Amino acid sequence: MAEFSSVGKNVPRVDVFEKVTGSAIYADDRQFGAGLYYGRLVRSPYAHALIKKIDVSKALEVPGVKAVVTGKDFPGRIGLYLVDRPIFAADRVRYVGDPVAGVVAVSEEIAEEAARLVEVEYEELPAVFDPLEAIKPDAPLLHPDLGSYKVAPFIHPVPGTNISEHFKLRRGDVESAWSQCAAIVEEEFRLPQIQHVPIETHVAVAIWEPSGEVTLWTSSQSPFAQRDLIAQSLGIPHGNLRVISPYVGGGFGGKAGVSIEVYAVAMARAVMGHPVKLRMTREEEFVGTTVRQSLVAHVKVGCDADGNLLAMEVSYYFGGGAYNDYGVNIARAAGYSCTGPYYIPNVKGDSYCVYTNQPIGSAMRGFGMPEIHWGLEQAMDQLAEKIGMDPVEFRRRNCVKTGQIIATGMTMPNVDLVACIDKVAKAVNWGKKEPPSAPHKKRGKGLAIMWKAPAMPPNPGSSAIVRFNEDATVNVEIGAQELGQGAFTVAAQIAAEALGVPYDWVRVSAPIDTKYSPYEWQTVASRITWSMGNAVKAAAEDAKRQILELVAEHWDEDPEDLDIKDGKVISYKSERELSLKGLVVYGLPNEDFEGWKGGPIVGRGKFMPTYVTSLDPETGQGTRAVVHYTVGAQAVDLEVDTETGQVEIIKIASAYDVGKAINPDLVLTQIEGGAVHGMSSTFEALKFDEKGRPLNPSFVDYRIATAADIPKEIHGDIVETPLEDGPWGARGIGEHVMVQTAPAIANAIYNAIGVRFNELPLSAEKIFMAMREKEE
Amino acid sequence: MLARPGLPRFDYVRAETADEVVRLLQERGEAARPFMGGTDLFVRMRDGVIHPQVVVDVKYLPGIRDVVYDAQAGLTVGAAVTMNEVARHPDVVAHYPLLAEAANSVASYQLRNRATLGGNLCNASPAADTAPATLVLEGRIVLYGPDGEREVPATEFFLGPGKTARGPAEIVTAIRYPLPPKGAAGRYLKLGRNKVGDLSIVGVAVFGFPDETAPSGYRFRIGLASVAPVPLRATAAEEILAEEPPGEETFVKAAEEAMNEASPIDDVRASAAYRKAMVRALTLRGLRAVWEQLA
Amino acid sequence: MGMHSITVTVNGEKEYLEVPSHMTLLQMLREKLAITGPKNGCSAGECGACTVLLDGEPVNSCMVLAVEVDGHEVVTVEGLAKEGQLTPLQQAFIEHNAVQCGFCTPGMLISAEALLKRNPHPTEEEIKEALVGNLCRCTGYIRIIRAVQTAAEKGGA
Repeated sequence: MAEFSSVGKNVPRVDVFEKVTGSAIYADDRQFGAGLYYGRLVRSPYAHALIKKIDVSKALEVPGVKAVVTGKDFPGRIGLYLVDRPIFAADRVRYVGDPVAGVVAVSEEIAEEAARLVEVEYEELPAVFDPLEAIKPDAPLLHPDLGSYKVAPFIHPVPGTNISEHFKLRRGDVESAWSQCAAIVEEEFRLPQIQHVPIETHVAVAIWEPSGEVTLWTSSQSPFAQRDLIAQSLGIPHGNLRVISPYVGGGFGGKAGVSIEVYAVAMARAVMGHPVKLRMTREEEFVGTTVRQSLVAHVKVGCDADGNLLAMEVSYYFGGGAYNDYGVNIARAAGYSCTGPYYIPNVKGDSYCVYTNQPIGSAMRGFGMPEIHWGLEQAMDQLAEKIGMDPVEFRRRNCVKTGQIIATGMTMPNVDLVACIDKVAKAVNWGKKEPPSAPHKKRGKGLAIMWKAPAMPPNPGSSAIVRFNEDATVNVEIGAQELGQGAFTVAAQIAAEALGVPYDWVRVSAPIDTKYSPYEWQTVASRITWSMGNAVKAAAEDAKRQILELVAEHWDEDPEDLDIKDGKVISYKSERELSLKGLVVYGLPNEDFEGWKGGPIVGRGKFMPTYVTSLDPETGQGTRAVVHYTVGAQAVDLEVDTETGQVEIIKIASAYDVGKAINPDLVLTQIEGGAVHGMSSTFEALKFDEKGRPLNPSFVDYRIATAADIPKEIHGDIVETPLEDGPWGARGIGEHVMVQTAPAIANAIYNAIGVRFNELPLSAEKIFMAMREKEE
Repeated sequence: MLARPGLPRFDYVRAETADEVVRLLQERGEAARPFMGGTDLFVRMRDGVIHPQVVVDVKYLPGIRDVVYDAQAGLTVGAAVTMNEVARHPDVVAHYPLLAEAANSVASYQLRNRATLGGNLCNASPAADTAPATLVLEGRIVLYGPDGEREVPATEFFLGPGKTARGPAEIVTAIRYPLPPKGAAGRYLKLGRNKVGDLSIVGVAVFGFPDETAPSGYRFRIGLASVAPVPLRATAAEEILAEEPPGEETFVKAAEEAMNEASPIDDVRASAAYRKAMVRALTLRGLRAVWEQLA
Repeated sequence: MGMHSITVTVNGEKEYLEVPSHMTLLQMLREKLAITGPKNGCSAGECGACTVLLDGEPVNSCMVLAVEVDGHEVVTVEGLAKEGQLTPLQQAFIEHNAVQCGFCTPGMLISAEALLKRNPHPTEEEIKEALVGNLCRCTGYIRIIRAVQTAAEKGGA
């Protein structure tokens, strides 16, 4: 491979100047003038109840109120994988916060006061919050009509129960394998719902023109999916629904798919011609958008006396919340990846998504993987301890390697997880007992590894367009969103590299606008660098081919002998040079100016994986369950204050195999930010009272890590084992960076104080109390 | 019900004199609220806990933002002096470092530019970070009302969560701190869910000074936050410290006693059992730290 | 509902405004003046995305009433760069990739600016403490801290 000009370089972000000067526009920043109305939602105070009557008359009497809409006005449902969510709850509410009505008024404050006057009569029903309770035959049923819901072909709900998805994986013979095991660990692990906590809450502004054209401005990872799902659910022709999505102030999966945006569109229909803004308060963001699902995991795993894993039996019960339209695919992803990053010959896995009367569970950074690794990575440590093997050696031996047939029957694509393990072990001086900083502290080290595949339908597509300005500067058009992860910068680097122009010639067309931007399925699943990257590369190569053919004709040479370097067409044969300036728009004149050839160059590219196969519904077996996996390792060095239970993280070291780092420093910023996000999530939980009412939906009592809480040292390493079908071998890294942080911390705490924690969240209190109990 | 998106409607009045405030409070009763930094008031208004129709800005009353130190009379901090002003005022830092430390432990820097000492005490949150320091420094709350000015010792000011000795038509204008005893030392130790910036799960102020009248030769005062319906003094622990010779053994015993004096509740932030244990741990740490300065 | 006529200097420009009693400074900036650099992240003084300088000191603009700034001076992130010249802090944020989604950045820059004004050579601990009121979910703060250190080395805000 020739030397790179843009790829692999730490070029500055394309979006950074706007972001440090305050000129970057987010969804709430656009000015709509005096005609703007505001919407507020009326939310259920009950976790589970029948709606007997809704009286909106008092709300309508409030001066300034323009409309009140309810479920009666919108009979449809909405959902990505399982169409189970009503636009507004019409007959039944399923969580505290379930929207039953929307009020539109001339100000947010009037809308709010009027929303408090909407009178709803409920008949309270028994509610269920624990997925293990919810799967019992006598549990209250949240969705009696589950059997009639439209569902994606690879999702398997169980009508008549609260199970919205059951994924089965069967490989080998688990039962007979147990007898060959020298050691077996069997444990239950739990974790609660947590929230993404983007600093920007959800915001949507919609206008429904009398012509029938609808425009939605939204803070979204999924403008195209929103267009598709909202168009379907509200009966809008796709061509009439335009979604414009400016910079996103943090997503982490919470702004994937559709959450509150459909309400904005629904309310806008009632006040045609006026834009309606609906923005979530922080309190609503916590419990009224989406959350990460809770999980109960039963893990049984065994190995032989040499430490070779022989068998695993796992059952995952995801507490999916009230609607599982997105969550079902998390349970599926947890099902096909149920072993974690290990080669195990005998596997029985069952993964369930279960309705519970809680906020809507959905995608969050890692998409099921942080949830299942919490238990898996502690169980592996326990197993290694049982047979007296070092956890690093145990993982080196058993971790998944290129070419192995993994549990779904798929051949493992290129990865080097052993290299990741070695790097992080070295970074924390693994095996060296180091003293704590004070006599009342105990120090420990822990390690955990991870894998994650993009969890998607088999055919999510990306497309890209490359256009030129007169001076040969380039506009790259994409539909992928900039959430902070650097998608725009990566697109520009890839385009510059593939075209042969300097990086600073490239602009990315923004905001993403479904009317003008080329299609992108969603900015999720850590798929953008890979999938969008391939599309941008293809578009740039298409443009380059057109340019070379034009100049070859002009010079009477073979295009194969030409190339573009640093913005100039060069001939390796004749050593001629020609600047791209002008010719990419105006073409080239024939000799003696007798006519012209060429014209504005437009390159187009697309990418869609075509090779993912379906899986057998009874065994989860298939040739290729997923497109690929990204793997990595983290090691943690920490100390525990034995007098308070407080944990101080001295160092988190991470290493991931990203195939090819398009922008190594941006990869490191993902690794660092993810380590802190993962650390913070270890101590986070949404808490509810016995009626399912949230107890801590604010920053006062849902604490996230601040600048003062971060580890003393955050170390990142990049491993590059090229992916067969990634742009120059690149694969994604956005989510992986926090998948195994919580179990790595738990393993380090165990190493420090000899206590295991099977349930998240950790807290100083929990650690202190456990130490005290151990002493007694 | 979740908080409102913004503040509900009210009228803002900027008061120029204390009498004007008193008159408004007398006329409007609960419908009028004195306002300084708003860091607590606005949150409770958004939450719908209180619904004032008139918000009376008292920050512009004469003297209410002044810090006055007198080598005989001690320190007077105007009620509307912000936490940052308290924390960095040279006289506070020089003579009342414990108060500076406590003020500096409140929330974040930018919030401390708004939050006021008077507001922190007036809200009477059991978690108020400046309350334990004010208790052990034997601060007195200066109130102004229909009958003029009066002073209430901090130990008598807090009556319950959100409840104080402030009359319905009174405002807090200042907090007076007597001169600290010679050779005194103090520390405020706070445990939160974050390293810095959280509300206190437990807050402990320890203040000590040499005193020949005490059998031990020293007197210690201990103030506790977040472990009872009101911020309180751990008087039984203080007695032990006055009686028995200072040192690890006595400190352990006193810390145990302070724990017994606490009567915390279980809430979303921590359990009562953990809070009690942390009173012991932080009191012990505080005593050691103060002793190190004294000895 | 009380309305108030106020005069306030925002980023060097004198503004004459009519504001209702219950309007916050953040609402005034964003909705009355279309100055949208300061962000609304919680309306409760907890996240710091709305941080602005009020007479040179950082405050949560969601916790200040618009009527209170009558006669005072406000600087938002838009007012940091002068004549197109980025401040050393802004340059350092770019250099260190201290920005991801960018939503906390306006408040972060204001808090950091104020820190370097009052303490031109802060320690790492002092930087962390000064930024405790500015939540960030993307960066893990480490690049932001490094950027503040770099700006300090280059001679302040």
